[in-house]
Amino acid sequence: MAISELEPKFQLPKPAFLVWMGMLGVGLAIGLYSAIIIFIKGLGITNMSDSVPWGLWITIDLTSIALGAGAFTLSAIVYIFGIKRLQPIIRLAVLVGFAGYTSALLTLVMDIGRPDRFWHPWVFWNVHSVLWEVTMCITIYLTILIAEFAPVIVETKWFDNWPSLRKLAHFLHKLTPYLAALGLVISLLHQSSLGAAYGVIKSRPVWFKPSMPIMFVLSAIASGPAVTAALAYVIEWITRKRNIKHDVLRMITRFSGVALLSYGYIKFWDMAAVTYYGRTSGTMSAFSMLSAETPFNFSFYVGEVLLGILVPAILFLVPRFNRSPAAAVLGALSAMIGIAVHRWNVTVGGLFVPLSYSPGTLYQLPAGSYFPAPIEWGVGILVVCYALTVITLAVKLLPIFEHSEH
Amino acid sequence: MAKKKKVVIDLTRRDVIKMVAATAGSAILAPLLTTGPLSPFGALKQQQLEGGPGAAESGGHGATGENHWGMVINLDLCIGCEYCQRACNATNDVFSDKPWNLVIKDKTTSGHTFFLSRPCLHCQNAPCVEVCPVKATYHREDGLVVMDYGRCIGCRYCEVACPYDARKFNWESRTDENPFIPTWGIPEVERRPRGVVEKCTFCIQRIDMAMSEETEKKLTPGEDREATPACVNICPVNARAFGNLKNPESRVSQVIANNATLRLRDDLGTETSVYYIPPKEGM
Repeated sequence: MAISELEPKFQLPKPAFLVWMGMLGVGLAIGLYSAIIIFIKGLGITNMSDSVPWGLWITIDLTSIALGAGAFTLSAIVYIFGIKRLQPIIRLAVLVGFAGYTSALLTLVMDIGRPDRFWHPWVFWNVHSVLWEVTMCITIYLTILIAEFAPVIVETKWFDNWPSLRKLAHFLHKLTPYLAALGLVISLLHQSSLGAAYGVIKSRPVWFKPSMPIMFVLSAIASGPAVTAALAYVIEWITRKRNIKHDVLRMITRFSGVALLSYGYIKFWDMAAVTYYGRTSGTMSAFSMLSAETPFNFSFYVGEVLLGILVPAILFLVPRFNRSPAAAVLGALSAMIGIAVHRWNVTVGGLFVPLSYSPGTLYQLPAGSYFPAPIEWGVGILVVCYALTVITLAVKLLPIFEHSEH
Repeated sequence: MAKKKKVVIDLTRRDVIKMVAATAGSAILAPLLTTGPLSPFGALKQQQLEGGPGAAESGGHGATGENHWGMVINLDLCIGCEYCQRACNATNDVFSDKPWNLVIKDKTTSGHTFFLSRPCLHCQNAPCVEVCPVKATYHREDGLVVMDYGRCIGCRYCEVACPYDARKFNWESRTDENPFIPTWGIPEVERRPRGVVEKCTFCIQRIDMAMSEETEKKLTPGEDREATPACVNICPVNARAFGNLKNPESRVSQVIANNATLRLRDDLGTETSVYYIPPKEGM
């Protein structure tokens, strides 16, 4: 109903839109069913175990936060570095950020053993814990995203009778540059701390290295904006309206391409320098175990390096591809896969290597094993469909592409 | 609404340099601020390591009181009977598949078989205490690393961080019948609920009973059986000794003073409260 109010003329994509919403509805139903089962029966029905206590959900959590990084990166570019040309994409970027961060929180609530105690980190502080810091940062940053997005919601005609809210929104809108500055600081902090959460664990040879936070923050800065730009292309195909000028989107994908190359450089440096100089018998045997018993090497080179860095960098930077929207969307998809594979490899790869604490010969345990159970995929579907629903409805109902200059 | 006309600025070389510099600068700054020398948490941590003013108020870092409960395990005496594991399972009502106190058959480099038994090592520099986002795991004044099961959110970060695999998560509600009760002991603590992590406590209920006002502190953990961990009491070959590491007269201090000992993964700087006497064949 709200749709028809906003757009009195029925448009062509309506049946397609219904089919799309129907698909999302089915996904949400499957996901909600899985979530309820998890809440009732507990985490025992997942395939996670005491040797691999983190799995698919943490991967989804980290990936959605990384893909939401377009919001802070593009906000910083526009409001702090003053490249106003990119302003038209800000609302979309903030929307994607909002969808990503709320997806992450949704997954986290599913993943902890006591969802009823989700509020404990806000009350019982442990300032020494990286995870605590990440939780606080995500909370603050989500508040910033909401403050940045509130004016967009209040602009709709449902708020015509609430002039006071409009005034408040106008005030919030004036604060945007300051919110962008705070958002930049908070985001750099937690995007890198997500890597530090692994990097500080000295008992795990695969994780314990100083490059972990750098790789997390760089990969997020590189792929987040490209995902936002690709989404703009996709929305353009569907709505058949050129909402954002293509040269703006091309500029964003070029930025992502350069950032991906610097991420690739750091990755190479990490492999060559950190692994080499920091190598202990522990790290060496850990990596040889991973390459012998798991598809770690394959997923590293094909998933992380080829799909995650080389393919998108070529599609974003080579002029003939950069001009093509299809190449941009393909590149963003490829980069998304790369991010997800990287987060998966870090999480699960690190946990597959058993701990060696016995003073005798190395404690000979087989490598851990884990593949997500159907119920875990179900919750994964819930999170993905939730994010897509939020984005679809917002694009449909809210003035995402009306670029106002107050 | 009159729209202001804006001058469209094209991306100049300077803009590109700015963007690249900002990206590179941020990438360098972020880790410096979070884990590096500029980190506000780094200073706190240093303070803690040096036992400075931050140490006491941050919930204690290691044993700050007059007692420091510790254990010594003689691997040369251990025969691998697993009695300690069974007594622990009964006394603390632990799920038998996930013992708090573990016995592993292992071999020295010379091929000699020995048995490594491992309770929670109660690190004075405990990774689990550091990573817990809600301080559900904390240090007591007497050096014990204990858990508040009512506060744990079940994120399992401590389980991932523990170098000794000493932590277990309750994936399901416990309905199992404990096969070790009553042959190996009677449970002294409640079962832990679904969704929290659990670990060995050095039988904290016995230590607290001994230290409480009601017993007028007449009992000494490590000397009196009622106040000593179940695994230490039951050992048929007396491979384990328990007591106050800060008291040079205690049994545990005496054993450590008179033997060559080692601690597991000492290279990690965890400063465990459990010492091992290696087998005489060497490691």
